[in-house]
Amino acid sequence: MKILEIKDLRKAYPGFLLDDVSFDVEEGSIMGFIGRNGAGKTTTIKSVLNLVHADGGTVLFEGEDLWSNETVCKKRIGLVLGEFNYYKRKKLKAIAAVTKQFYEDWDEETYQALLSRFSLDPEKKISELSQGMRVKFALALALSHRAKLLILDEPTSGLDPVSRDELLDIFRSIIEDGEHSILFSTHIISDLEKCADYITYIKGGKIVVSTDADSFKDAYRLVSGEADQLERFRSTLIGYRAHAFGFTGLMRREDAERAEGLKVAPADMESIMIYTEKEDGHESAAQ
Amino acid sequence: MKALLSKEFKLCVHPALFIYLALILMLLIPNYPYLVSCFFVCNGIFFCFQQARENGDAMYTAMLPVSKAQAVKARCLFVVIIEMIDVVLMAAMCAFALVAMPETNGGGTDHSLSLIAFALVLFAIFNIIYLPSFYKTGYKAGTAFLKSAIGIWIWIILSDGMMIASNAVMESGVDIAFFRFIHENIDCMPKTAEALTVQAILFGAGLLLYVVCTLLAAKISVKRYEKVSVA
Repeated sequence: MKILEIKDLRKAYPGFLLDDVSFDVEEGSIMGFIGRNGAGKTTTIKSVLNLVHADGGTVLFEGEDLWSNETVCKKRIGLVLGEFNYYKRKKLKAIAAVTKQFYEDWDEETYQALLSRFSLDPEKKISELSQGMRVKFALALALSHRAKLLILDEPTSGLDPVSRDELLDIFRSIIEDGEHSILFSTHIISDLEKCADYITYIKGGKIVVSTDADSFKDAYRLVSGEADQLERFRSTLIGYRAHAFGFTGLMRREDAERAEGLKVAPADMESIMIYTEKEDGHESAAQ
Repeated sequence: MKALLSKEFKLCVHPALFIYLALILMLLIPNYPYLVSCFFVCNGIFFCFQQARENGDAMYTAMLPVSKAQAVKARCLFVVIIEMIDVVLMAAMCAFALVAMPETNGGGTDHSLSLIAFALVLFAIFNIIYLPSFYKTGYKAGTAFLKSAIGIWIWIILSDGMMIASNAVMESGVDIAFFRFIHENIDCMPKTAEALTVQAILFGAGLLLYVVCTLLAAKISVKRYEKVSVA
């Protein structure tokens, strides 16, 4: 069952267009939403949540129109838009006391457990927390009102590798019951390798692909060859980097299977994104 | 709405607001334009808007399960509550002055129902200018306050100026019916039935203007903020 359905979402800014963005988030899964800085990830998320007034499109949450049932739907959505950077002079307990008033389903036991798990002291002020701790506090708030869907915009960006790994474990445990889902935007692709079931890739305001993580990776191959082979394969390379001994690049799987004489290896998500972004301008290390 | 209002009072109130509300004690100063105390309360409200903006309140609120319209309405209600607290304090001070300060106020409107009516008009002007102007962008609190301050000061100068003029004319011995009417029925403590009736009508008109302007301000603000992107 689809918990979130985004159809033809459109938002025009001077110099940027979110162009008919469509993808779904399945119940009980983690959807990784990837793209480079400025690709439209945050604009998409903000448009979905009506923080930005979209020019067109529809957003359904559990089959209901999210924009016309905003208050009800948002009670079942946990949001983390980066680190918690609001009311920095207030104590954590003051912020939590205000926040929980908005949720009938607030679970104080879960909240207290998360505070302990994240080593967050409720007597501390937001300004006294590190960047990573602020993300953890935002997560603690988002996870404490029994949300069915978590929408996380760059939640791991400011965290150290241990904290990131810890969070990814938490994400996996959240969806284990099959009833919760996560939409997780990031440019730290390695995080998604560890936990995402599905991938939606946005580039320049357009969705490049939205599919399951294995199919996403399986559709591409990393190839490398000698310098004199470059001209022959240039048209089938999605992106490549030339160096003194030859080149390495990305190809679609079917093209790679036909490419005789090249070394072919499975592609990882990060390479797919990097080489796809080079599509419009191949880069040479020699330049 | 209850949760949003609670958020406004627990997170958005700037400490200076209490100091500005305490300036209602300016009504104890002899010969002073007492409406200035209301301007200070508007200043305190502006401080609260600034405090909220600087603390990322727009984004924090946007993440809560409330619509933009509800957020704007709650903030408007917060403003109304602050203003009504000031009006009640002003009424108490006027009642106190009836006994303790019987002299005529040479600096503006006397302690009276008229003063409270003028204060309501002042707050109406503030609300109708400040709120829609602020919610046009959701962050330009200073520009909105500057615009509203111009409106407020024009009103203070007009209303208190008229009272000062009526005092001066009456003291000069020239009998002009218009100024005599002001002097005997508006710019005085409501000790006669006629003065009380005139001032009650003024108070009713002031209250009506306040309600209409504030509702209109909230409606325009909601409409404008819908178009604002929360960043």
